[in-house]
Amino acid sequence: MIIEALIAVTFLAALVVFVAPDEYAGRLAAALSALPVLGSLWMWAQYDASGNALLGGSIAFETDFVWLTLGSLDLHWFVGVDGISLPLVVLTTILSTLAIISAWTPISERQSQFYGLMLFMEANLLGVFTALDFFAWFVFWEAVLVPMYFLIGVWGGPNRRYAAIKFFVYTNVASLVMFIGFIALVFGLGDSVSSMRLPEIAQALRAGELAGFAGLNAGMLKTVAFVAMFLGFAVKVPVAPLHTWLPDAHVEAPTPVSVMLAGVLLKMGTYALLRFNFTMMPDVATALVVPIAGIAVISVIYGALLALAQQDLKRIVAYSSVSSMGYVILGLVAYTTYGVGGATFQMIAHGLISGLMFMAVGVIYNTTHTRMVGDMSGIADRMPVTAGIFVAGAFGYMGLPLMAGFAGEFFIFKGSFASTVHSGMPLFTAAAMFGIVIVAGYLLFAMQRTLFGPFSFDGDYEITTAPMQDVAPLAVLLLLVIVLGVAPDLFFGMIQDAVNPILTGGGL
Amino acid sequence: MAGILDFAPAIVLLPFVSFLVALAVGDRLPKGGALAGIAATAGSLLLAAATFLTVSGGQTYNATIYTWAEGLNAVDLSFGLLIDPLSAMMLLIVTLIAFLVHVFSLGYMNDEGETGLPRYYAGLGLFTASMLGFVVANNLLMAFMFFELVGLCSYLLIGFHFREPGPPSAAKKAFLVTRFGDYFFLVGVVAVFATFGTAAFAGDGSFPVLAEAALNGEAGSVTTFGFAPQTWFTIVGLLILGGVIGKSAQFPLHTWLPDAMEGPTPVSALIHAATMVAAGVYLVARMYGFYALSPNALAIIAFVGGFTALFAATMGVVKREIKQVLAYSTISQYGYMMLGLGGGGYVAATFHLMTHAFFKALLFLGAGSVIIAMHHNENMWDMGGLKDKMPVTYYTFLSGSLALAGIVPFAGFWSKDEVLYETLIHGLGGNPILLGAYAMGLLAVFFTGFYTFRMVFLTFHGNPRSQTARDPHGVGWNVKAPLVVLGVLAATAGLVNMVPVEKLLGIKGIDFLHQWLDGGYASLTAHHYGELIPYSSSYIGSEATTVALGAGISLGLALAGAGLAYLLYDVPEPIRHTDRLGRIKTLLYNNYYQDEYQVWLANGVTRPVARAANKFDGGIVDGVVNGVSSVSLFSGSRIRRIQTGVVSNYAALLTLGLTALLVAFGLLGGWFV
Repeated sequence: MIIEALIAVTFLAALVVFVAPDEYAGRLAAALSALPVLGSLWMWAQYDASGNALLGGSIAFETDFVWLTLGSLDLHWFVGVDGISLPLVVLTTILSTLAIISAWTPISERQSQFYGLMLFMEANLLGVFTALDFFAWFVFWEAVLVPMYFLIGVWGGPNRRYAAIKFFVYTNVASLVMFIGFIALVFGLGDSVSSMRLPEIAQALRAGELAGFAGLNAGMLKTVAFVAMFLGFAVKVPVAPLHTWLPDAHVEAPTPVSVMLAGVLLKMGTYALLRFNFTMMPDVATALVVPIAGIAVISVIYGALLALAQQDLKRIVAYSSVSSMGYVILGLVAYTTYGVGGATFQMIAHGLISGLMFMAVGVIYNTTHTRMVGDMSGIADRMPVTAGIFVAGAFGYMGLPLMAGFAGEFFIFKGSFASTVHSGMPLFTAAAMFGIVIVAGYLLFAMQRTLFGPFSFDGDYEITTAPMQDVAPLAVLLLLVIVLGVAPDLFFGMIQDAVNPILTGGGL
Repeated sequence: MAGILDFAPAIVLLPFVSFLVALAVGDRLPKGGALAGIAATAGSLLLAAATFLTVSGGQTYNATIYTWAEGLNAVDLSFGLLIDPLSAMMLLIVTLIAFLVHVFSLGYMNDEGETGLPRYYAGLGLFTASMLGFVVANNLLMAFMFFELVGLCSYLLIGFHFREPGPPSAAKKAFLVTRFGDYFFLVGVVAVFATFGTAAFAGDGSFPVLAEAALNGEAGSVTTFGFAPQTWFTIVGLLILGGVIGKSAQFPLHTWLPDAMEGPTPVSALIHAATMVAAGVYLVARMYGFYALSPNALAIIAFVGGFTALFAATMGVVKREIKQVLAYSTISQYGYMMLGLGGGGYVAATFHLMTHAFFKALLFLGAGSVIIAMHHNENMWDMGGLKDKMPVTYYTFLSGSLALAGIVPFAGFWSKDEVLYETLIHGLGGNPILLGAYAMGLLAVFFTGFYTFRMVFLTFHGNPRSQTARDPHGVGWNVKAPLVVLGVLAATAGLVNMVPVEKLLGIKGIDFLHQWLDGGYASLTAHHYGELIPYSSSYIGSEATTVALGAGISLGLALAGAGLAYLLYDVPEPIRHTDRLGRIKTLLYNNYYQDEYQVWLANGVTRPVARAANKFDGGIVDGVVNGVSSVSLFSGSRIRRIQTGVVSNYAALLTLGLTALLVAFGLLGGWFV
């Protein structure tokens, strides 16, 4: 029941904060959000399951009962975690708390509503990563969009409405496409499944129980459904060329919202790709390896080139997410322990590091009220600690060894180079790896121009050291990035355990 | 196995602790954390000496000490220590230089009133620790990881004076150029794992051993991706070589190194002698058993090395600043090491790595001493006549210069001569590429002699050419003591391996370095490499004639270069003779426009491509998205109507949305009936 407790506590916290007075809404939200952090860490400590939750492995903290019945199909309240979802639950709780603390300085209007929505979003995210029944999962999946829409649309920058609507419509249309794809599969499975519990569907699909539907034979239906779901999830990831909502949303969103968007919301896309496409239909995924790996390489290189062209620090970090998530796709399609496991690890690593970078940009923005590279230089002179953490975070993003990003990227590279799904995988891998040079280019250029050199700043604001409440979340994130980089096995063991069943049997 | 070698991890960890101490409480410590660094590197030095003695007693150590990522049905990725004669020797060199650089920094940084000292000493500590971690690595992945950390530290230290415009730019360039090389290295690491399933350097299951077995036609578990094993191993070797070329500043990735002179001078000494630049060459030596299997890879290494040696030496001829001359000499000298490795002279190259570490650290610290004296003016044309004002610096610097120029019996003579000799005899065995590389290396000897003594005469001889040179700033014991230690080593270190003397006079057993590097693991001995090298060797006349001829020619060229410098520059008022070179001087002074084309590649090609991509992204990709949405239901005007800003509306919308979703689901579910 710990999962229900986690979700319920977070929902309740959202309600309490929503009606709390503005003066202490931020403090209250941070304090209440510490509860799910403790809960998720307890889950991590107590975790004793093994295998993949969808493929017959034991499921930790499982609850399963029939909620309501629709015709011949039971809808279950079915939650639980395995080695893939638990790290994401931990990431969600920790990043939410840190994002809430990082909001104390920049958010000054309608605070109780802001923090309430942040907690509401966290609760739904926890639902997304723990639900194992499609119905509940989809409700949580959609419900995440709503608070995000308001967080961008109300507290965002000058062009917030456009960004919020674009985000909402784009991802909603994507959800629709994905939904149709999945439901088509359920129809095709017909009586061989009695519910929409994901393990049941996954195992039926891998056992080849899919029949034709709507004029399509089983093979065709599977391919169409795979493509529909891939596109639906790919928008969320996002991969090129379905990424254009992301920079707009990031630029307009306030810092803490960007942290959640890049840190956790993008992982919904890769998590769903892993859970649905790559777990349920490995045969289609391996048949489509060339286009998928191609998209991955394009996302990495194209995203990095776009980041190189930006002048706004936040846009730089935003586009670099496209690049980093391309690695995840490459790892997933490799179908090796290190490839898929590395992709999962990279979700956590990127969540922490992109959160760190967005927060660092936000701390500079809180002081300078600008994010444009050309507007400032030599900031390190006035904000040494922030600059130091910025440099450390940027090197983390570049994949410096002994930081989490290197572990994720190296696992992926190792896994995908050795992959046997296609003879071109070494070339795809080598091409994608060139991203590590471009990422170094744009981050080093940005740092040289903003942080270093003679101090100059045109604005009317006095540049002083950032307050403790701004720097502390940065320091915590940096510490986590280093800890995971030195000891990736804190998560990587359970990840591999959950990933390995995907790689065997079922038409691979 | 128990004993002192179990403490080997402490050699790496002590400087790391000093990094943490300097970072955390350096501003509250006396000397800004310098003492912690000195204590740590002294501890490491003692332990490294103990390790060296133990290894000389025949003990070795190869063990995994930490499993970084435990593979489940997949290989483990781990950290481990490999202590054999090669790494034990390198540990001693690195810890010695690091210790002396720390001491020297007291004079160069603390006494000169620099700010930000805790950051400086933290950087030095991390730099030393990273390099030591790299040296003891027992597998290629660990080596790569510490190789990258070395790169980070160089970035932090080159950019130490971050408030000025130059250093941050140089730091960025150093990291970016070496990163470009490291990209190939990383592909190589991944390829090694994919090919052999392991990246261990030593032992029966190590990748050089597996590669050798595969070439001998023994059925093994190597995957060569459709290539013949020989071809594939060459490709992998060249990929890894990318990292070496970047870090060891070989053509065409040498451009970062002269810029890196923006860093504080003790840092330059550390980078050039014992850490970053040495890392590249050390890596080739570490996995020489793999390279030795591929004649093509070796030939490329030798050619790149020979070319770089000559190419950099010519640029050193015209530089005005003392540190610039030294920078180009570093590039050139690492070219010799590459030449030696590629030419089949594993021991010779390692020997040159050692002697170079001593005399180049000495020359940089000597230059640092001059720079203190000159109030941080580095232009040699403002110096002159410093010989009488600072005799300790002069005589030690002279010792280093004689070693650099390769004048007998100073250290550099023995090692450079052996590098050239090995390349020559292997080239004579029927390899014209090696002979070409040898010719370039030989020609570079002349230029080396010239630029070295041009630097010595301009700096120390003649009349003072500026007010500061007439009345230089004095330097303290903390500057002089490291100079003396290194000065003695630069004069005598060559005696450990007097191969020409052995061969000409027939005195057996004085090639101590050969004997030393023949110890340890069977697959990692010089003897084993000698058997692997697919080159045959032959001589001009007899072996003794070849030795005498080779040594005579290179010594003659060095003396000729030095003599020319003596004629031109050892006068009271030297003039700028290199101006007579005319446009050649301009070409050399501008480094053959190597920087220009690389900057053009970054700014003139990559950036416009990025801007074009950005335009494409905003105009076409996003344009399609906006186009689709504007004809769809959600047109802007309708949306604006529900953007009322009243929160109760939002809440209602939120509830409505969820309800609609549930209803839709029910309908869909109903269809199943």
